[in-house]
Amino acid sequence: MDSNKQVPVTVLTGFLGAGKTTLLNRILTEQHGKKYAVIVNEFGEQGIDNDLVVDADEEVFEMNNGCICCTVRGDLIRILSGLMKRADKLDAIIVETTGLADPAPVAQTFFVDQDVADRTKLDAIVTVADAVHLSSQLTDHHEAEEQIAFADVVLLNKIDLVDESGLEAVKERIRKINPFAKIINTTKCGVSLNEILNLDAFSLKRVLEVEPDFLESDHDHEHDDDVTSLSFVSDTPLDMEKFQDWFSKLLQTKGQDILRTKGILDFTGESDRYVFQGVHMLMDASPMGKWPEGKVRSSRLVFIGRNLENMNLKEGFENCKSA
Amino acid sequence: MKADLNKFPELNKTKFENRGKELRLGIPVINSVVIGNSIAVGFGDGTIRIFKAGQSSEPIKAHNGIVLCISKDGDDIITGGDDGRFLRISLNGEISEIANFGSRWVDHVTANNGSLVCTSGNNVYLWMAGRKEPKILEHESTIGGVAFDSKGRRLAVSRYGGVTLWKKDYSNKWKSSNLLWKGSHNKVIFSPDDRYLVTSMQENQLHFWRLKDKTDSTMSGYGAKVKSFAFVHDTKFLVTSGSNDAVCWPFDGIGPEGRQPICLPFVGNKLVTFVEPFPNENAIFTGLSDGSVFLSEIEKSSNTIIIRSFTESEVTTISVTEDGSSILIGDMAGNILWTSIWDEENK
Repeated sequence: MDSNKQVPVTVLTGFLGAGKTTLLNRILTEQHGKKYAVIVNEFGEQGIDNDLVVDADEEVFEMNNGCICCTVRGDLIRILSGLMKRADKLDAIIVETTGLADPAPVAQTFFVDQDVADRTKLDAIVTVADAVHLSSQLTDHHEAEEQIAFADVVLLNKIDLVDESGLEAVKERIRKINPFAKIINTTKCGVSLNEILNLDAFSLKRVLEVEPDFLESDHDHEHDDDVTSLSFVSDTPLDMEKFQDWFSKLLQTKGQDILRTKGILDFTGESDRYVFQGVHMLMDASPMGKWPEGKVRSSRLVFIGRNLENMNLKEGFENCKSA
Repeated sequence: MKADLNKFPELNKTKFENRGKELRLGIPVINSVVIGNSIAVGFGDGTIRIFKAGQSSEPIKAHNGIVLCISKDGDDIITGGDDGRFLRISLNGEISEIANFGSRWVDHVTANNGSLVCTSGNNVYLWMAGRKEPKILEHESTIGGVAFDSKGRRLAVSRYGGVTLWKKDYSNKWKSSNLLWKGSHNKVIFSPDDRYLVTSMQENQLHFWRLKDKTDSTMSGYGAKVKSFAFVHDTKFLVTSGSNDAVCWPFDGIGPEGRQPICLPFVGNKLVTFVEPFPNENAIFTGLSDGSVFLSEIEKSSNTIIIRSFTESEVTTISVTEDGSSILIGDMAGNILWTSIWDEENK
C-alpha cells in the first residue's frame, strides 16, 4: 500500500488535566487549511474547536485468535473505516484517549485490522504529562506508566510549576521507563507542531534513526511491576534461526509484560540490516537495506516492559550469537 | 503528452458497459438498496441518487457527511449518517427526519412489516407500527449489525461476544435471548427460510447458528474480512466475499457442517469484495478489488461472463432490480455502471 495514501493518525494520551485539550486546540487552530478529524472519548474535556469531532467509546475487543494480549479498539475500527469513506480527504486524524486508557489496544488496532492498516497509519503516540503530578501518577496508576512506555513523544507540560531538580527527577523517571521517547518541555503545551505531527514514528525506517539513551540494567526501582527498559548490543553477528526461536517463544510466553520492542539486527550471512518493532506480541519486521559502508555492523535490541529482569533476556540474547 | 489518470482505457469494454450508463463521480459509493425496479445509492459525501429505468439520476443531499447505511421501508428509502440523522426518503426524493442523535453516528438501519429500526452506539431504536416514540433496546457493546427475520417478529443484533436475538411475543413485548460466540460480530443476516442466522466477524471468518437447536459453527479460511455475504436461491447457498474466489457454502439439507464450499475462481487473483445473488437464479454477481464484476452460475463455474471490466477501485455495491432486468455497480472511487442485463433479442 502506498504510504502517501494512508492518512496519518496521531494518538494523544495523558492523564486528565495534563493539557490534552489545550494541545488539541492548538493543533486545530494553528494548522490552517488542513482538514482534521478528531476522535474524542465521551468523558473527555469539552470545548474542541473543529468541524469534525467524533465521539468514541474506547471499546476494547479481544481478538479471537488465541492470543490473550491481542486487544484492539473496536470503536476505532468502526470510526476509522467510516471516515475513510468520506468524499473529502482528511489530512490527519487525531485520537484523544481518556486518562485511564491503555495505549496498547490503540496501537495494536493498526497492526491487526487490515482495512485500518490499508488506509491509515499510526503516526505517533504523544503523551501529555503534567510535570507537577506525573511522579505520583506513575506510582499510583498502571495506566500512567503505560502511557509513558508507549510514547514516541512525551510533552512534559507545566514545567513552570516545578523547580529545576524536580524537573530533572521527573525526566529521569520518564527515561527509565522509555529511553526512546523524545521529551519536550513546555508550559501550556507551547510546542512547534512539527515536533508532534507527521513523525512516522511507527515506520521501520524511523527505528533506524532512533538512538535511545542506552541505560545500564537498573535494579533500584521500587516495585516489581514497575515499567522499565533494558537494551542489549552485540558486535558478534546473530544466528537467525536461534534468534527467531528465542524471540518468538519469548513473545508468546511473556508478551503480556513486554510492552514495546525495537531492534536492528545483524544476522550471519545476511547483507541486509533487519529491523523490527513490536507492541506486545505483534511485530512489524523487514530487511531494510544494506549496512552503511565503513560502519560497524552491530545488533541492538531494546525492551520496554514489566518484570524484564525475570525473563533471562541477557542470557537469551547471548545464546543467539553465532558460534 | 500526459496520460489522463482519471480515464481508464476505453478499449475492451464489455457489452454491458457499452450499452449502459457510466458515471465517474469521484465520490465513494457506500451501498445501495433495491426498491422494485429502482435502485437508491448512498455516497461518501452525504448524497443519495435514485436510478430508474430511462431516467437520469440527480444527487439528493441527505446527510452532512457520509451516508453510513441505506435500506428500505416499503417503498421508501431509509438512511443513517455520520451527522446523527436517521432519514426517510421517498422515491421522489422527499426527505423527512425520523430521528436525530447529534454527534452520535447512525450506523445501521432496517425495517420490516411496519417496524423501523436504527442503531447508534450500543442502542437499538425500534419504532413499532403507528408509534411516534421509539423503544430503546440497550446492549453492552457497540452494535455491528441488525436484521429482521422474514416476518419481522425477530430482530437479530450482532455485537461483541455474539448476537442478541429479540423476539416479539403475542402481546407485542420484545424479549431477548443470547447467541454467544467469542469475538466481535459485524453484519448479521437471517436465511430466507429463517432457519439460520449468520454473522461476519472481526476475524476473517463467519459464524452461523441453526436457530431450532441453537447449534453453531464457524466458516473460516478467508484471507480478508468477510464484508459481503448473502443467501442465494432461497437458502441453497451462502455466497461470501473475503477470498480470491467467491466462496459458496451449501445450506440446503443438513447445512454446511462437514461439507466443502464451492469456490468460484476469477482470473487475476484479486480479492472478492462484493457478492450479490441474481434474483431467482442459482447464480451470483461477484465484484472484485480491481472493480471488475462477473456473473457466474454456482454449480457450473465454467459458465462465467464478465459484466464490467476493471476500474482499479474495489467494488462496494452491486444491486439488481427486482425483475432481474438491470444491474447497478458502484466502487470506492465513485464509478457507477447502470445497465440492462439481457440482450435486446432475449428480453
